[in-house]
Amino acid sequence: MNGLIGRVSPQTLRLVALFLALLATVLFFSTQIEGYLSARMFNRISTSAAVVLPIAVGQAIVIMTRNIDLSVGSILGVVAYMTGQALGAMPEMHPVFAVLLAMGIGAVAGAINGVLVAWGRVPSIIVTLGTLALYRSFLVEYSNATTITTASLPQWLVELPQASLFSIGALDVRVTVVLALVACLVVGVALSRLRAARKFLAVGSNPDAAKMAGIDAPRVVFVAFVLAGALAGLSGFIFLAKFGNITVVAGLGFELKSIAAVVVGGVSIMGGSGTILGVLMGTVLVDTIDNSLTRWDMVSEFWRDALLGMLIMAAVTLDTLAARQLARLRRKEGGAE
Amino acid sequence: MMKMKGLALAAGLMAGLMGTTALAEAVTAAPGQEVNAVLLPKFLGILPFDQANRGAQEAAAELGSTGKLEFIGPTPENSAAGQIEMLTTATTQKQHVVMLSNNAGDQIAATAEAAQAAGTKVVTWDSPIPNGAGESFFVAQVDFGSIGTVMADMAYDLAGGAGEFAVLSASPDAANQNAWIEAMKGALAGEKYKDLKLVDVVYGNDQSEESYNRALGLVDKYPDLKVIMAPTTVGIVAAAKAMQDEGLCEKVKVSGLGLPAEMVSYSLNGCAPQFALWSFVDLGYLTYHASYALVTGAIKGEVGEEFTAGRMGSFKIEEDPGRPGAKRVLMGPFTIYTKDNVEAAAN
Repeated sequence: MNGLIGRVSPQTLRLVALFLALLATVLFFSTQIEGYLSARMFNRISTSAAVVLPIAVGQAIVIMTRNIDLSVGSILGVVAYMTGQALGAMPEMHPVFAVLLAMGIGAVAGAINGVLVAWGRVPSIIVTLGTLALYRSFLVEYSNATTITTASLPQWLVELPQASLFSIGALDVRVTVVLALVACLVVGVALSRLRAARKFLAVGSNPDAAKMAGIDAPRVVFVAFVLAGALAGLSGFIFLAKFGNITVVAGLGFELKSIAAVVVGGVSIMGGSGTILGVLMGTVLVDTIDNSLTRWDMVSEFWRDALLGMLIMAAVTLDTLAARQLARLRRKEGGAE
Repeated sequence: MMKMKGLALAAGLMAGLMGTTALAEAVTAAPGQEVNAVLLPKFLGILPFDQANRGAQEAAAELGSTGKLEFIGPTPENSAAGQIEMLTTATTQKQHVVMLSNNAGDQIAATAEAAQAAGTKVVTWDSPIPNGAGESFFVAQVDFGSIGTVMADMAYDLAGGAGEFAVLSASPDAANQNAWIEAMKGALAGEKYKDLKLVDVVYGNDQSEESYNRALGLVDKYPDLKVIMAPTTVGIVAAAKAMQDEGLCEKVKVSGLGLPAEMVSYSLNGCAPQFALWSFVDLGYLTYHASYALVTGAIKGEVGEEFTAGRMGSFKIEEDPGRPGAKRVLMGPFTIYTKDNVEAAAN
């Protein structure tokens, strides 16, 4: 047994634990809610998680570098609004270009954060707390209190959330879900395969050592924020497609949603460790719990948020305890050998 | 002697009567005075508050106030704390009056009381200070009780007189929505609605994605649901979009309080055939008139006083039936929007 624990990396163990938690959640609610294990529920949860996933992946990259981005919710709002407005003015714009536009606007906002954190040397929590308000205020000024409505958007965008790329039986795999998953996959593969991408983890795990190893740490941090902005932009695009009606409150609170998904997904808030697969599972787990609690009669509206908060804390506590236990077991094992 | 006494009594009575008639007659504040006013919405950047500002500016221009009317408010993510801060700032600036659509619950009462003590009047509109402390009076858009009846009636119509319906509200602690839902529950006790069943009240916290997910949760949980009643402009659009996306518009109708500009496509395609709202332009207009009369001393803010508000006619200060001890000015009425009048209102 000890030998097995020694061989399996803590990351893998974390993923297994997350998977078991997800399985337990689904099994539990399937006994509580009628018609829970259905294609409909799969679509509900997959499309709702698709809005949060890109923004959570971006947040994960930033957190891996031992920083945090509190402005992503505001970036989402700005992007959803500006992209909606551009599509209203130019309905013939190509869909691919619309996605790139959304990610581009997000990247610009992320670059502002990145410059201030990487070269301005201001702690990221302060910079992004500032831009959280700044981007939101910009949106308030820019929007001039007008709403982007579904009526002003091109038809393909309004129909996009219902469009399926393919179906497995009754399970529809929606285009927005695929879009989010592709972003997740690209980042995930890059982080595990590309040396350049592993610099995010190197900088987060030990900035001084990374510098000694010849890594241009400020540049890496800057790129992390640009990516977080671009991915928040992708979430903004999906948000626009899904809800159609965009006002200045769009994306309010998404920074916390993304941090919750990332932390539950096992990315260390101290930087330097975490996997994108974990973030994916964290996002799905949080969303599954939220969507299930909504449909569960046992919990009143007032307790749902509290319960969600407790579950997140439980996840993090369990994770920490497991990691500590594992380290102890390994020390023992090392001593025995 | 007796006669004299009678005469004196009669004179006294006369004077008394005249006094009361003088009080009951609507006063008109003299135009052209200096009133520095701040219109403080829940937050900046959404249409209803912008419309209220338009109405207030119209009233200020009409009254020829030589003071300034500023439209300032917090950003959405900082609403409650921002409002308290801005009310404090307005007090130190010695503004004459702050017109507040309160989003900070009773938390703001102490700040409002401090403002009053320092000579800055606080008039609430749209959303009052729940316990009434610190506000001169509340300019109510409509009678909160009658909103309840209208919501019950719309649910009754859309459900065809019988069946299940649910409420999708803003946040669980939103004072106005909670008052309306309570009023609706009261109305539902009537004989007419005996076959109509309110099965659930859920909250989308005025966020698109939460409201959207809650609306889907409702249709999953209650397969026989006929109507979703959303007394919030964010909730109603999100619910209508959710029903449209799921192809459920034939089965589940959405109704409540919504902005014509945002609801027009859903009204026309039958997802939300009927909803209600009042004019925010008029609300801003009336609030400014009332505040101007208060600051210039034309009214003192006592129950029973009546004042004129330009094109809207005269209004009376009365006890607020929903908040014991507090005072209100009732605007009303509201408009029911259907496919026949929604397009005209949207533009």
